[in-house]
Amino acid sequence: MNPIADLGIFVVCVGAGLIGALAGVGGGIIVVPALTILFGVDVHLAIGASIVSVIATSSGASAAYVRDRMTDMRVGMFLELATTVGAIAGALLAAVVAPPLLLILLGIVLLGSAAQQVLRLGKELPPVFEPSGLAVRLRLSGTYPDKALGREVAYAAQRVPLGFVLMGFAGVVSGLLGIGSGALKVLAMDGAMRLPMKVSSATSNFMIGVTAAASAGIYLSRGDVDPRIAAPVALGVLLGATIGARLLPRLSNRRVRLIFLPVLLAIGLETLARGLGVGP
Amino acid sequence: MTPDRFRAVVSGVLIGGVVSSAALIALGFTASLAVGWDGSLRGLAATTRSASDFSAIGIGLRDLRPIAFAQAGLLVLVATPVVRVAASFVAFVLERDRLYAAITLGVLAVLLVSLFVLR
Repeated sequence: MNPIADLGIFVVCVGAGLIGALAGVGGGIIVVPALTILFGVDVHLAIGASIVSVIATSSGASAAYVRDRMTDMRVGMFLELATTVGAIAGALLAAVVAPPLLLILLGIVLLGSAAQQVLRLGKELPPVFEPSGLAVRLRLSGTYPDKALGREVAYAAQRVPLGFVLMGFAGVVSGLLGIGSGALKVLAMDGAMRLPMKVSSATSNFMIGVTAAASAGIYLSRGDVDPRIAAPVALGVLLGATIGARLLPRLSNRRVRLIFLPVLLAIGLETLARGLGVGP
Repeated sequence: MTPDRFRAVVSGVLIGGVVSSAALIALGFTASLAVGWDGSLRGLAATTRSASDFSAIGIGLRDLRPIAFAQAGLLVLVATPVVRVAASFVAFVLERDRLYAAITLGVLAVLLVSLFVLR
């Protein structure tokens, strides 16, 4: 890469880190197409760089989210159990199952979830019920300071077993296909467990670094991480995620959902296109 | 350990990892503008190793090679979430929170298996 291309990659990745930090995803949906289409990077190296970008988004944003009490660390740690086991299962399954059918199914799930997200656009906060069952035993409830609403907002996780199973599925998908795991995590926490959107996004951010780190060893040993490309990616994403993490507490949950929705649509369409064998 | 202290520890691990990683990568990048990625700040001959070969990182650092600085920064970045999980485990133990200490230890175990056993 020449310095001009490096600068271009850096600037694109500032945007990827910013959007990733706000939407709770790793930014692979931006980094991979940008590197391959705009900068002519080999697809394997682009995917290796996107793993770096996921970890950079996660650590860069979570440093602030954890301190600002946007991340629910108990929810995150408990669900990481499901995603890491799922990720290993997915990596082992990769030799057995046919990806095209899975990609098509996942694409349909993501696009279906996008429709559900549209229906929720009018609601700032989920209804709060008394925590029950597993949510009580695991203490999966709390409050977060909402700077947009100007008050502490209480929440309690609902349907914990369903959320745990969906997180396992998110882990399998990321291990098997290497995509969309941040979007599925947000959907599991926001959709199934009814956590506030900002808490879902921040906690997803907290978790995706661990899921990505679990598979990073494989990419490193395969030689898919080229520092000449990953260096401007990491620096750009870290800067973008740091900026995004300062914005999130001030945005309304509706606004965060409005940022998440097009990201979800893009991932859904890209996944479907890959499954059908069309597109780049 | 108070919840605020707990959060400060986890957040501190993440900030430490991110800042040291960014510093190493930026150092490598800046040095590469001067002597090229394959060069050496000690004026040694260009390396013939592949840039994505992380196995000779120790020799590369000794030879002050820009590529080795960037590789070290990337490794610190990848290690940060793992260190964060390990630090959370210690914090839960100090809090005498057995349930979450066990959950976190489980995550750490799965993570280490995936990093070092499954290749």
